[in-house]
Amino acid sequence: MKFIKWASLMAIALILILQTACKKTTNEPIPTPAAPGQFAIEFEHKWGMMQTPFSLNTLQVHPMTGDSLTFTTFRYYVSNIKVKKDDGTWWSEPYSYHIVDLANTASLEIELDDVPAGNYTELQYTMGVDSLRNVSGAQDGALSVTEGMFWNWNSGYIMLKAEGTSPDAANNTYLFHLGGFSGSNNIVTVKTTNFNGATMSIASDKTPHVHLVANPARLWHSSPSVSTKNTIHMPGAEAKTMALDFYTNISFDELHQ
Amino acid sequence: MKRMISFLFLGLMLLAACSKDPFSPNPVSSNEGPDFPAYFPAPHYQSAENIWQKNRIELGRRLFYDPILSSDSSVSCASCHHASHAFSDFGKALSTGVNGAIGNRNSPALFNLLWSTSFMWDGGINHLEIMPFAPITLATEMNEDMNHILAKLNRHTQYKPLFEKSFGPGEISSKDFFYALAQFMGSLVSANSKYDLFRQGKISFSSDEQKGYQLFQVHCNRCHTEPLFTNQGFANNGLDSVFSDEGRYRITLDPDDKGKFKIPSLRNIGLSYPYMHKGQFNSLQAVLNHYSSSVKQSETLDPQLKGGIPLNELEKNQIIQFLNTLNDSVFIQNSLHQNPF
Repeated sequence: MKFIKWASLMAIALILILQTACKKTTNEPIPTPAAPGQFAIEFEHKWGMMQTPFSLNTLQVHPMTGDSLTFTTFRYYVSNIKVKKDDGTWWSEPYSYHIVDLANTASLEIELDDVPAGNYTELQYTMGVDSLRNVSGAQDGALSVTEGMFWNWNSGYIMLKAEGTSPDAANNTYLFHLGGFSGSNNIVTVKTTNFNGATMSIASDKTPHVHLVANPARLWHSSPSVSTKNTIHMPGAEAKTMALDFYTNISFDELHQ
Repeated sequence: MKRMISFLFLGLMLLAACSKDPFSPNPVSSNEGPDFPAYFPAPHYQSAENIWQKNRIELGRRLFYDPILSSDSSVSCASCHHASHAFSDFGKALSTGVNGAIGNRNSPALFNLLWSTSFMWDGGINHLEIMPFAPITLATEMNEDMNHILAKLNRHTQYKPLFEKSFGPGEISSKDFFYALAQFMGSLVSANSKYDLFRQGKISFSSDEQKGYQLFQVHCNRCHTEPLFTNQGFANNGLDSVFSDEGRYRITLDPDDKGKFKIPSLRNIGLSYPYMHKGQFNSLQAVLNHYSSSVKQSETLDPQLKGGIPLNELEKNQIIQFLNTLNDSVFIQNSLHQNPF
């Protein structure tokens, strides 16, 4: 009985302490946070070491393999975009999954909205789709299977699709469906840029653009000519080599404030 | 007095907690999902978002039985998965898809999918929700395009309101579609066989069944592990020494996986003939003859099968008698699993 009395007293004391701790100090003005802003990431595609313009349905000659390639499809996933403020905090885009599709001009520019105002010093983005989403069943938006970027027989996202025609390839076609999210087949690649030391300032009245350059010729940087290999349709060592050669080369070009 | 009241209250709470029938053949009595016996492990399939709802299960059942999911409206999921035979394509080694196309592996029975860690004979599908994506889109099965299915459903006068009831207003998405099918497939819990009644202490086995059970535990249970009668793994059970179908290897490209296939559950085995990934064997007798005397050697053969399983005719018969206790007549007759049309 004595114990119960003691326990109740302690409980009352605790409640009182907690109540005081939670009380808001009312006399300090609450600063109004600056309205959030937005920024955009723009993917520019340039071909080979000469950095010539790249587009679909246009003949490109590969500087290393000598293959004549006419792309009909070039699309890939970019995910998990986040930016770092000069105070060290990160802002991450919610459900951050995007398909960059050369057949869809609007998709070359990823717009990020509702970004807290401030000065940002670093951008992080992921080429491919993180492993978790590859094993989590039905998904929405850019990750829906209706995008045609998910294998029906070997679960996982096709993180990059490059298809086209070439007189150098068997049947005059090539088809590279690259993916892989686990173990030694993992191609998912996290990229960062510090804008070459510049600062991206986010405010409601402007939309800074981050320009990234991607070079599809890099797919064959250390992979053989389409005359040797014109199809990849699953994860594995070959897919990894091709994807990583392309991913690692994607680089920051400039920041338009 | 106060203390007595609290004790009484606690007692009532406990009573209420205990009064729930530990297992009822009617799935989904609550948001917690289908009921299953206490001796089953926790389900592998969990979704924080796909909350169990009778509406969703019912919608999933409709989709399962509707040939609208195929390119020419001739084939439904149920065309190759018959409720009467534990959702197998009984009697058919390989199944027929649209345009008379023939698949390359035997249609599996469907039940206890909430516990499956992978799907298909090669385990290529990693999640219950996206499992239907394969048969729906494969040319040899339903040969349909997901965008086209969604377009058909979105303009369908009956499906539109059914989806809205389950998932709220708006266009039907692929996610809604897969969620509904996952709930129906997940609701297919088979746990009312004679074996289950035995496990629950409600009946006893005949002496042959009992002997068969003991033989099973010695020779079969390592792979066909109780109570689900599969360990969810993959094995080469000696059907071939040269593999025309490389099975699990097709997915992993690991040479150790050549000729390995998913170990199927043996529940409802008497109902889901023929057997093996190509439907090679028409009877359980033929299966046991294979294991006792015609296992073929190869690099990846399961070590326990190297010398075959030594069984005489009486023992084979006893094992078959035990295996037939795994048939679940309550499951195959459950009205909630039948064709709603």
